[in-house]
Amino acid sequence: MITTVTLNPAIDREYFVQENKPKSHQYLYTERDIKVSPGGKGLLSAINLRKLGYSDVQNIGFVGGRQGLFFEKMVQEHGITTNYIFTESEIRNNIFVISRDPVTYTHYNDYSYKVEHGDVKSLIKRFRRGIIDSDFIMISGSIPEGVNFSIYQRLIQICHEAGKDVYLHASGEVLNRALEEQPKVVVPYFKHTNKILDKKIVNDEDYIWAGKKLQENGAKYVMMPFHCSRLLFDKNGDVYQLTPRDFCLRNWLGAGEAYNAAFFDYVYQYGFDFLEANKYAGAAALAIAESKEIFLADRAMIKEKTDNIIIKKLGV
Amino acid sequence: MSTVRKYMMRTMNSVCEEDSIEDVIRVMNKIEMSVLPVVDDENKFLGTIYSRNLLKNIIPEQYGFLESHRLLYQVNQAAENLAEIKDRKVKEYMSNNTTAVKENDKMDNIADIMLDNKESYLYVVNNDNKLRGYISRADLLYYLLEVGENQQ
Repeated sequence: MITTVTLNPAIDREYFVQENKPKSHQYLYTERDIKVSPGGKGLLSAINLRKLGYSDVQNIGFVGGRQGLFFEKMVQEHGITTNYIFTESEIRNNIFVISRDPVTYTHYNDYSYKVEHGDVKSLIKRFRRGIIDSDFIMISGSIPEGVNFSIYQRLIQICHEAGKDVYLHASGEVLNRALEEQPKVVVPYFKHTNKILDKKIVNDEDYIWAGKKLQENGAKYVMMPFHCSRLLFDKNGDVYQLTPRDFCLRNWLGAGEAYNAAFFDYVYQYGFDFLEANKYAGAAALAIAESKEIFLADRAMIKEKTDNIIIKKLGV
Repeated sequence: MSTVRKYMMRTMNSVCEEDSIEDVIRVMNKIEMSVLPVVDDENKFLGTIYSRNLLKNIIPEQYGFLESHRLLYQVNQAAENLAEIKDRKVKEYMSNNTTAVKENDKMDNIADIMLDNKESYLYVVNNDNKLRGYISRADLLYYLLEVGENQQ
């Protein structure tokens, strides 16, 4: 089994309009113009893993209210096993209004969701028994209000007690604290704050500093998004840059989640080889970035792109 | 041949033997289910807990079970009885003799099991008897609908 954790999922509602006109009524008459889907970093990686052929993939987290039941059904449609703690508060909705002419993109990110103390206790209990059969565990994304910043640290501790490695995709204070538990692989995300470990990341030296500092604070391996590339910080202190070549970017959406899922897929098939797993993961992200789809269809589309991924060692 | 895996609901909503009755009622309310699977700390399926069993334990026996002419004081009595048992453990009220089916079982066999056990839900386990979800009468009917359509 593969476990992904999404503590702060949302229902993504995308509305496609001809023109986004404030102060006016807009009418959407066709199904094509409305897309409702389950959102959350760990969940999207789980969907990719199902599409790559893994039969037993579960998503653990909080969902809320009656909309939470709707969310759960949408997730199950993808063949994912749901393992959710249901809260009193209704799950978040992220609203996207996408206009064709002129091309505009308006996003209302709903952060009103709240989790109670008892829900956190229930989640920890459920998580402890939920990971027993897991070969891989990915903890990913933000946390909702009401959850302590040390939650990922606690979950990683439970994984380590059960002898399981963790792949962590996080940011901010929740990442800072999680490092104390020394997760095996850390992927920071920071585009919403431009900060890692509370420091503004501006130039190339800042990226290198951040990767090294994440390792110094506990991460064994670090994969750092770096413009269109990734910086890879190996356990032995070596630093590499992974870059795509000869590509035509169409769509960033879903590329990061495809990367995470493909990394697991490589490790599951061939064992843990940090550089080769990243090369394969980079190819998966590139395959998505060059298509209009947000999910991987199969392994063939990854293998087709592996020659377009170059990894070179940096002299730092 | 279709298997349970194709039609089941893949959910790990469950409680443990040591959870309280209050926990059970809150989970049932949130997920709109009147029965929950009971598992151990490794997700091994142990049995089920039914809302009907809980109601039987709190509604005064002399008035019968869920009769329409129940008076307010009888409801109050039931609420008082529930207050008394809400901190008790699931293991005191669960059913241990519940049949579970495997993910790879044939759908054709499910109808027999459901009718024999009078269950509206059957819990689904893997080969290690670990919970993987459930299959309902509605799922069985949906399967039969598909079979009929394919025969035409």
